[in-house]
Amino acid sequence: MAIRTIDVRERVMARNDQLATGVREQLGRAGVPAFNLVSSPGAGKTALLERTLADLGRAVRIAVVTGDVQTQNDADRLAQHTDRLVQAVVTNGACHLDALQVATALGAIDLEATDLVFIENVGNLVCPASWDLGETGKIVLLSVTEGEDKPLKYPTAFRRAATLVLTKLDLMPHVSFSLERAVQCALEINPDLQVLFTSTILPEGLEEWYGFLRAQLHRRRAA
Amino acid sequence: MHEMSVALEVCRIAEERVGTDALPTVRAVGLEVGEQAGVEIGSLTFCLETLLAAPPFTGATPVIERRPGDVLRVSYLEVEDGHPDD
Repeated sequence: MAIRTIDVRERVMARNDQLATGVREQLGRAGVPAFNLVSSPGAGKTALLERTLADLGRAVRIAVVTGDVQTQNDADRLAQHTDRLVQAVVTNGACHLDALQVATALGAIDLEATDLVFIENVGNLVCPASWDLGETGKIVLLSVTEGEDKPLKYPTAFRRAATLVLTKLDLMPHVSFSLERAVQCALEINPDLQVLFTSTILPEGLEEWYGFLRAQLHRRRAA
Repeated sequence: MHEMSVALEVCRIAEERVGTDALPTVRAVGLEVGEQAGVEIGSLTFCLETLLAAPPFTGATPVIERRPGDVLRVSYLEVEDGHPDD
């Protein structure tokens, strides 16, 4: 038998990226920014969104897509803070959300009646970084109970994010975490990273975060 | 864990290129994987070997070349052309 070589040169992510482009165009047409929240499990993605829905949900029409390997617990938690639909995606073992899941979830969301979309990815600092979901930007969360050098250990997530949200600053008196070192590690990986400091417990703990969100909404309206 | 998703997509691309009927004739699958592609080579090799050993494949070999950057693509397929060449 003769062996024949077929030249392929096709990116493995081509189909996902094609679907992501469709999502991006759909969001663009509707003028809705969408943020993909990525972090290790327990960094506080759901807690941040709970407070955000509770505090801004009346003024800003926020839709949420949550991804978890099992259970729709996060979606149930978030649904307590909003009358709007929270789309739960159970990945059944997969370690990340992909563009098809997001495109399907967005199909159930009325984007014309939405100002802002959050996609809460599966808690995992490795795999979600590789999947473009069609989002406006990736936001990576890092809590002060983790190691300051996580950006060096998991560089892809920090390299592909535009924004870093440091969470749980209320715990600073109880941990040996150095904010300065964490920011230094993050900027070493991605010098353009915008860094926000947050706490869902401290008074004014989310002011920087809300300022960031308002700026995104304002920018989109002005466009 | 996402190496299995990557491996499944590689198999889908192979099927798209050669057609379902020709999948048993695939002998090798060439891949380029960047150092920063977020893919663990041992895990990807294991997933590909497992998938390529099961029907409709008949034991094709994954051939992975490391590259700088974050490239992740199927570079070539080797297939038996179905005609005896002797």
